[in-house]
Amino acid sequence: MSRNRIGRWLIAVPMAALALATIYPLVFTANVASKTRHEYVLDRFSVAESPRWENFGAAWSGADMERYFLNSVIAVAGAVALLLLIGSMAGFALSRLRFRGSRALFLGCLAALFIPFQVIMVPLARVMGQIGLMDTYPGLILAYVAQFLPFTVFLMTSYYTGIPAEIIDAARIDGNSVYGVYLRMMLPLGRPALLSVGILNALFCWNDVLIALLMMPSAEHRTLMVGITSLRGQYSDDIPAFAAGVLIAALPILLLYLFFQRQITAGVTAGSTKG
Amino acid sequence: MPIGSPPSSVRASALGRIEGREGAPARRAAPRSRRGRASRRPRADRLAPYVLMAPAVLIIAGLRLYPLALGVNFSFTGDGDRNGQAVGLDNYAALFDDPLFRQALQNVGLLVLLLPIAVAIPGLLATFIYLRVPGHRIYRSVYFFPAVLSPVIVGAIFNLLLAYDGTANTVLGLVGLGPVDWLGDPDTAMVTVVGVHVWATFGMALVVFLAGFATLDAALVDAARIDGASLPQVVRHVIVPGLSRTIQFVFVTTMIGLLTSMFGLLYVMTSGGPEGSTYLPEYYIWVQQGQMNRPALASAASTVLFGIMLVVGLLQIAVLRRAGRED
Repeated sequence: MSRNRIGRWLIAVPMAALALATIYPLVFTANVASKTRHEYVLDRFSVAESPRWENFGAAWSGADMERYFLNSVIAVAGAVALLLLIGSMAGFALSRLRFRGSRALFLGCLAALFIPFQVIMVPLARVMGQIGLMDTYPGLILAYVAQFLPFTVFLMTSYYTGIPAEIIDAARIDGNSVYGVYLRMMLPLGRPALLSVGILNALFCWNDVLIALLMMPSAEHRTLMVGITSLRGQYSDDIPAFAAGVLIAALPILLLYLFFQRQITAGVTAGSTKG
Repeated sequence: MPIGSPPSSVRASALGRIEGREGAPARRAAPRSRRGRASRRPRADRLAPYVLMAPAVLIIAGLRLYPLALGVNFSFTGDGDRNGQAVGLDNYAALFDDPLFRQALQNVGLLVLLLPIAVAIPGLLATFIYLRVPGHRIYRSVYFFPAVLSPVIVGAIFNLLLAYDGTANTVLGLVGLGPVDWLGDPDTAMVTVVGVHVWATFGMALVVFLAGFATLDAALVDAARIDGASLPQVVRHVIVPGLSRTIQFVFVTTMIGLLTSMFGLLYVMTSGGPEGSTYLPEYYIWVQQGQMNRPALASAASTVLFGIMLVVGLLQIAVLRRAGRED
């Protein structure tokens, strides 16, 4: 028993070291962001004397991050709202309504899930250009919706499959139309899944750089992640301000993670143990 | 888009109070509900499923399936002066003549070689957490955290850590090892970027493994341990067979992640350099489309990437199926 315990601690030490290595990069960045440029040049590893906010202010207003942040919020909010609406409608139909072609549509969704964005980005840019949505918010939002819709439809379909058919029958007998069932039952009952899928989609869209680079070429339409990549050139001699910019971009993710960790892990493990 | 690519069916119970039937279209529920009183509106009801499906179908067909076909088509047409003309396999010939694309394919080979390590690390860590090493409660949350960060943020931070006078070299210096030009040396740059990718994403595979462990019969593990099985024996004879589905899932998703979600890191950390040593197909596609204005060549590269993904996916499934049967 005691040998077993020693063995456990032998494993625990490297695991703790790895945990530190997991947190360290963010702590280091936060420390750098709290230094003056002078302090950083003298010793980048020393602990900042006192927390400073100048760098955050400088990055926020001096480097257009305000603008980029707003662009990202618009794109993410638009995409997540549409994804939840369209995904839950399709999930409801695929799981709880019987109609000709439902199997084929489900398989089409399945196929779309395995198409990486890189494979379709060239023709997608051309299609978006032809319908006049290149370099516009609706275009970017639509590109995000197209990218993450198959995943959203899947999760919503499987979630709604678990809602007992009797509840829906009862609502129909009470005189609800199919749309009434969707609005009054499926949307409220789907809240846990909608929350999980919504948060995951918000993370995917917020973190994306490739789709935004492709869809929003002009500088004033940069999203936050694209903005960060341009910030690096701009602040190459002011690393503390750059670090502050990076932290501002990471902050919303950090908050989502702190509050919704359970929903996030539920979403990413969906599909792993069955299939 | 790694996290957005779960496999065929979706595990419902992970999302809460669900029966966990597979995510296939229901057959039973609807017809019963359509009889009853609703027959007053048969026509509207018959149309309703199609109305509900319409936006999803339009978007997926128009912006995912159609571009896939269009892209394959593009790859047989010319760029620039020969825009729109059929050029046969010229783009593919140009592609395999291009040293940058060959480097990208070689790097794909490197990713395949590194794949077992990228799967084994989270697998082992999850095993230890499952066996309740001291502190196991915290590790899951801590390890998973980098997985939610954007590759852009991860790359920007690691640019600081991997600078010539950055943290990594300072730590090496403490144990008397010389500084390494992590991202500046063609021999180390690709492995360094893959290492950062693994640092950032191993938590994803870890939580998937832990979800698998939750379905494992704990009594089996306990029985094996009481019978005096060592840890490697338990892993070999109880955990690996019990988790074959999960392991297969992690192999496939990790490979998809390596092939399609390193763009952000490459873009921020190396821009494909030094000397083109960190090119991957996805980065090559971006450069040809976004910078060189050669969409047809980029489409050919896309088609090759899609082929690689298909082959890798099918191969892994086949291999793991066979391994699963032998056990």
